[in-house]
Amino acid sequence: MAEPPRSGEIPQATAVRPKRGRISVIWIIPILAALVAIGIAVQRILSVGPTIIIVFTAAEGIEAGKTFIRYKDVNIGQVTAVRLTNEYKQVEVTARIEKHAAGLMVQDAKFWVVRPQISLTGVSGLSTLLSGNYIGFEPGASEQSANIFIGLDVAPVVAGQAGREFILNSGDVGSLSIGSPIYYRRLPVGQVTATDLQPDGKAVQIRVFVRAPYDKYVVTGTRFWNASGIDVSVGADGINVRTESVVAILVGGISFDVPPFMTPGEAAPEDTVFTLYDDRVAAMKAPDPLAKHYVLKFNESVRGLAVGAPVTFLGLPAGEVTKVGLAFDVVKGDIRPRVEAVFYPERVIELASAKEAALAEAFRQDEQKRRAFIRRMVEERGLRAQLKSGSLITGQLYVGIDYHPNAPKVKLDFSQESPEFPTVPSDLADLEAKVGGIVDKIDRMPLEAIGNDLKKNLESLDQTLTSATKLITNADEQVLPGLKASIEDLRRTLGAVERAMNNADASLLQSSAPAQQDLRNALQEFTRAARSLRILMDELERQPSSVIRGKTDTGGK
Amino acid sequence: MSADALSAAEAGLVSCTTCHLLSRPAETANPGYCPRCGAGLVWRRRHSIQYTWALIIAATIFYIPANALPVLTTTALGSTESDTIIGGVIFLYTSGSWPLALIVLVASVMIPLGKLIALAYLLIQVQRRQVRNRHDSARMYRVVEFIGRWSMLDVFVDAFVVALVQLQPLMSVEPGPGVVFFMGVVVLTMLAAQTFDPRLLWDTPLERQALDG
Repeated sequence: MAEPPRSGEIPQATAVRPKRGRISVIWIIPILAALVAIGIAVQRILSVGPTIIIVFTAAEGIEAGKTFIRYKDVNIGQVTAVRLTNEYKQVEVTARIEKHAAGLMVQDAKFWVVRPQISLTGVSGLSTLLSGNYIGFEPGASEQSANIFIGLDVAPVVAGQAGREFILNSGDVGSLSIGSPIYYRRLPVGQVTATDLQPDGKAVQIRVFVRAPYDKYVVTGTRFWNASGIDVSVGADGINVRTESVVAILVGGISFDVPPFMTPGEAAPEDTVFTLYDDRVAAMKAPDPLAKHYVLKFNESVRGLAVGAPVTFLGLPAGEVTKVGLAFDVVKGDIRPRVEAVFYPERVIELASAKEAALAEAFRQDEQKRRAFIRRMVEERGLRAQLKSGSLITGQLYVGIDYHPNAPKVKLDFSQESPEFPTVPSDLADLEAKVGGIVDKIDRMPLEAIGNDLKKNLESLDQTLTSATKLITNADEQVLPGLKASIEDLRRTLGAVERAMNNADASLLQSSAPAQQDLRNALQEFTRAARSLRILMDELERQPSSVIRGKTDTGGK
Repeated sequence: MSADALSAAEAGLVSCTTCHLLSRPAETANPGYCPRCGAGLVWRRRHSIQYTWALIIAATIFYIPANALPVLTTTALGSTESDTIIGGVIFLYTSGSWPLALIVLVASVMIPLGKLIALAYLLIQVQRRQVRNRHDSARMYRVVEFIGRWSMLDVFVDAFVVALVQLQPLMSVEPGPGVVFFMGVVVLTMLAAQTFDPRLLWDTPLERQALDG
């Protein structure tokens, strides 16, 4: 260091260049700080994934910086901004996706707002009550990455589940809605995912999702039917109640199964179109390839006969009524009920025994043979159709085909498209006549005379009762004094017994009583015996051999 | 006190930086030790300007992540939220407690930044050998040094909150990485204020040249 300069003095130049600008070690500190800061910045920049934009119609509960995008309950992104777009009609949500999930952002990925939902089919999104709404995500199958998405308004029913979707065609949706369960043998295996009108507006298309592994039971021959609500059918065959589950009663449902007559085919591919039948019966009904139409003309009221009423053959279901109308006969000036019925010969043929299989097959194949057989039954055996009462309560009628050998002979004409099948009057009129007869007889009964007799009888019974009362009063006066005396005697006897007992007490219990003395002596005797026994036991314990050898001297005592 | 007053160095004397005793140096090149407290005597702190610059630059670098990174991560009822210092100020302001917002803004954002700017200003003045208003500069330095010890307020609050609010699983608070950098800013600024030799403010350009080692 130079001499401290004095003020005003001109400084002396130095010969050697002053050592300046030496870099101190202290500069390591800012360099380190810079390295750390750069390191963190690089790490942040590298870990930042893509930014995507999702357009929603409403952003219920979405907040910038707070709402996450979650997939399988893992946060894969966070909303960074929410703003209105598209002339303030929609909401544009900007979100930053984590780098590890960047590969999931493909064109057909789905986004929706998850909010708590409580419906009859279940509770979902309960976690959002605590954590707030979040954006649900389901990856797509596309390979094309994208960064602008259209958010779904409703959460897809089957997010992230394996299974297949099918399309059902139906006349109307009925009580089905999105989320309605799909049952297979009453086991819930899927859900309705969408309901929509067909483009022409004349029918509806219902999309259903069947979860794996149950989706393999949906095969090419499968039939779907509406299992909504309670299916109560009151027909001529009684009341029939059928339901799948309580949930199905409330929110509707769909069932499917393979009808027994179908051989299950291969698993149906995704988006196969099926028909949705109205009920199980309709779905499970075998298509009857052989349907023979007949016309039945009755001479009586057909009140209670409905379309769909069964036609039975000897009591077995063989067909059904398809139309109930009238036949006009201008020539005779006559109007009669005209019933059209369809008859399924196969249902009857199927019931043949195994031995007659060949015959049944012949009938199935050859219509001429079948007709000839029917003609014989009708013309020779008297096979006739007849209205029968299925239920007296509901008044339902059905058509029964049975043998009536006494019926007038007719010819069966197969030339028409719907041949007329001969009928006979029902038994219903007979039944009415019988009931009428019974009522008449009841009417003719001398009810009045019976009533008078009864009255007289009652009067005499009254008199009898009065006499009985008198008799009892007499008994009271005459019998009772004697009884009183008897009781007095009994009491005296009892007093004597009591005294005797007291004496017995004294003789037994007083210390000087002889019995007491004897007892005491006996007890003393017993005590002595017990003592001897104890001594013996002691002896045996010490010398067990004494039992055999006798008492030894050394044994003491 | 007048600006024209003779400085100790001008008078050939050296003041002790610890007990401020004015004494004659043992030698001119090597002033020796304070006769009263025994501390080493220096004409001017060695490399004071360089050291202070280095620390200020380091603090400035740390100031960026301290504000960019979250200082608190709050988890309440399943939702996690990370707050930076500025985010906290905005939250306090929007939730109506503007006095608190102002305190946090002044204590956590403006004061550290103000200290850095003040020290840089002093250093530039000293380096250019044109200390314009020595009295104001000296006062500025005193304020910077005084405030230094209160600057850890944020870090303390952070530590308290983290320790107290642990209501697992309902609510928990965890420190964010920003608080470490904030602490770095505070510590480095305090060290910078310490290494700066305020006597440089009073040296005339000629003295500076002479005293420069």
